[in-house]
Amino acid sequence: MTTDSPLVERRRSPRPDTWLPDFCSLPIVFALLVVAELVVLVILLAPHRDGGLAWQRVFVASVYVQWLAICCAFCLCRLRPAIARQPVARGVAGAYASVVAIVAMGSGLVYWIDHATGLELTVPAGNALRFVGGSTLIAALVAAAAFRYFYVQAQWQRGVQAHARAQVAALQARIRPHFLFNSMNTIASLIRTRPQDAERAVEDLGELFRATLRGGEGSSSLAAEIELVQRYLAIERLRFGERLGVEWRLESLPQDLAVPPLLLQPLVENAVLHGIQPLSAGGTILIEGKVEAGSVRISVRNPRPLHPPPLARGNRSAIENIRQRLFYHYGKAGRLELEQGAGYYAATLTIPGA
Amino acid sequence: MRLLIADDEPLARERLRALVGEIDGVEVIGEAADGREALTLSATLLPDCVLLDIAMPVMDGLEAARHLTGFDPPPAVIFCTAYDEHALAAFEASAVDYVVKPVRRERLSVALERARRFTGEQYRAVGEHLGALPQRTHICARLRGNLKLVPVADVAYFLAEDKYVAVRHAGGEVLVEESLKALEDEFGERFVRIHRNCLVATDRLSGLRRTPDGRMFADVRDAPEPLEVSRRNLPALRRLVKSL
Repeated sequence: MTTDSPLVERRRSPRPDTWLPDFCSLPIVFALLVVAELVVLVILLAPHRDGGLAWQRVFVASVYVQWLAICCAFCLCRLRPAIARQPVARGVAGAYASVVAIVAMGSGLVYWIDHATGLELTVPAGNALRFVGGSTLIAALVAAAAFRYFYVQAQWQRGVQAHARAQVAALQARIRPHFLFNSMNTIASLIRTRPQDAERAVEDLGELFRATLRGGEGSSSLAAEIELVQRYLAIERLRFGERLGVEWRLESLPQDLAVPPLLLQPLVENAVLHGIQPLSAGGTILIEGKVEAGSVRISVRNPRPLHPPPLARGNRSAIENIRQRLFYHYGKAGRLELEQGAGYYAATLTIPGA
Repeated sequence: MRLLIADDEPLARERLRALVGEIDGVEVIGEAADGREALTLSATLLPDCVLLDIAMPVMDGLEAARHLTGFDPPPAVIFCTAYDEHALAAFEASAVDYVVKPVRRERLSVALERARRFTGEQYRAVGEHLGALPQRTHICARLRGNLKLVPVADVAYFLAEDKYVAVRHAGGEVLVEESLKALEDEFGERFVRIHRNCLVATDRLSGLRRTPDGRMFADVRDAPEPLEVSRRNLPALRRLVKSL
C-alpha cells in the first residue's frame, strides 16, 4: 500500500531531531564526565614505565580531563542548533572538528600554565608536542567512537519514529479501498433506480474523503466528528439496508469541544465491519455519549457473531492508532476502553476537557 | 446459461441483475445473501454459474467456492469483490474468473463467456488453491443428493467409520467423505485427538472417567455416550482437561 510520503516528510522537517544528544542536559553531561573519567583510568592503568597507580597522578589527570570534557560539553551545547541545521555529514564533521580543536587548545593552555607557574604536573619541559599531540589524539579517537555511537543511536530512533508514522499512514490507507469500491458500486446501482439517493451518496462520500484525506492532523469539533459519523452511516445504510440499525443516545454534549479528528469514525466503522457485516440478520449499533466527571464519554456498542471468524489484523491497528493519538493529545486522561462479551463488543472513548 | 447471484448487499445484487439482463443468453435463476444460502440454493437450483461476492456473512465466498468444488457437476464460479486482497491473484491464471466492483458490463460479459466454456477439470486446479486457504467455518455433507451444512462451531466430535467420518453436532449427525487426518490438520486448534479414530472439540470436553475394567472414557457434551480414549492419547488429554 502506498502512502502519502511527501506529507509525512514535511511534518518531520521542522522538528530539530538531530543525531547529536543534548549536551545542555544534565544526564548527558554526567554521562560524558563518567566516560571521561573511565578514559583517565584506562590510560593510567595501562602498564607503564613509572610503575604503580599514584593517587596524585589520578587526581591531577582527572581534573585535567574533566575540565576538557566540560569545555567540550559547553561548546557542543552551544553549537547544537547550528549542527542540527546542517546535513548530517557536515554536522558530524563540524562537531568532531570542534571537539578536537578544543582539546588541542585546552591541552596547549594547560601545558603553558603548568610550566609558567613551575608546578610541573604534566610532563617535563620541552615535551609540549608529546603532551598536546597525545591528548588531542586520544580525544580524537574517543570522540570518533562516541560520535559513531550517537549516529547509530539516532538512526535507530529514526527507524522507530518512522514505524510509528507508517502505522498512522497505514491505518488511513487500510479502510479506504474496500469502502471506496463498495460505495462506488452502490452508487452505480442507485443511479439507475434512485438517482436522488445516488446524488446524496456522492455528497456524503465526498465529505468523508475530505475528512480522511486530511488524516489525523489538525483539530476538529465534537459536532463535526458526529456529523462525519452520520455521513459514513448514511452510506453504509444504503449498502446494508435493513441490516444496519443505528441508535443514538447523546446527552447534551459540548458541541464545539475541540477534539482530534477521526477518533470516533474508525470505531463506528469497526462496529459495521466486525459487527453488522458478519451477521446475516444484521443488528443495531448503539452510540451513546454523555459528560461524566468533566470528560466526554462516547461508547460504540455493536452485536457480533457468537463465533467470530479470526479477527482481521486491521482492527487492532485501528485501536492502537486511536490509543496513540489519544495519549499524544491528552496523556493518561484520554482513554479507549474495549469490552467484549458473548455476542457484543463495545468501545468507549474518554475525552477530557468538557 | 443459468446464473445464481450471491452478495449480501441488496443494491449490489440489484445491479448485477440489471447488468446480466443486458447480456444475451444468461438468465438469473436465484439470489443468495450469504455463502451458505448460495450453497443450499445451488444444491436445489443447479445453476451453471455462480457469481460469488467474497465478503459475505456466515460463510464467505472463498469458502462457498471451496464447497462448490465438491458438487457434481460443479458450477462455474466467478468471484466478485470490492478490492483485490490476497487470494484473487491465485485465480488470475486459473479457470475461475473474477470481477471487481464497481462491476463493468463488458468485463462481466467476458467473465460469463469464460464460464460458458468452463469444464469441471479446470475446477480441480482451483480446488487446490482453495484447499490452502484458512479454515472452513462449515462442514458440508452431500450424501444421496442432500446438502447439509454444519457450522464447525456446532461440531462435538468427528468419528472415523470405515470410509466415512461421522460428524456429531448439536442437531444430530452427518457423514462426510474426508479423512480424519485432514480434519485434524485444518481444525487442530479447536479439536483434540482422543483416539485413533476420534477428534473431539476441546470446548465440549467435560471430563474423563475410568471404567471398572480400566478403560478411559471422555465425557463430551452433545455426544450420546462417552467416547473411548486411547492409552496413547491419554497423557496429553489429561493435561488438557486439567488446564480447562
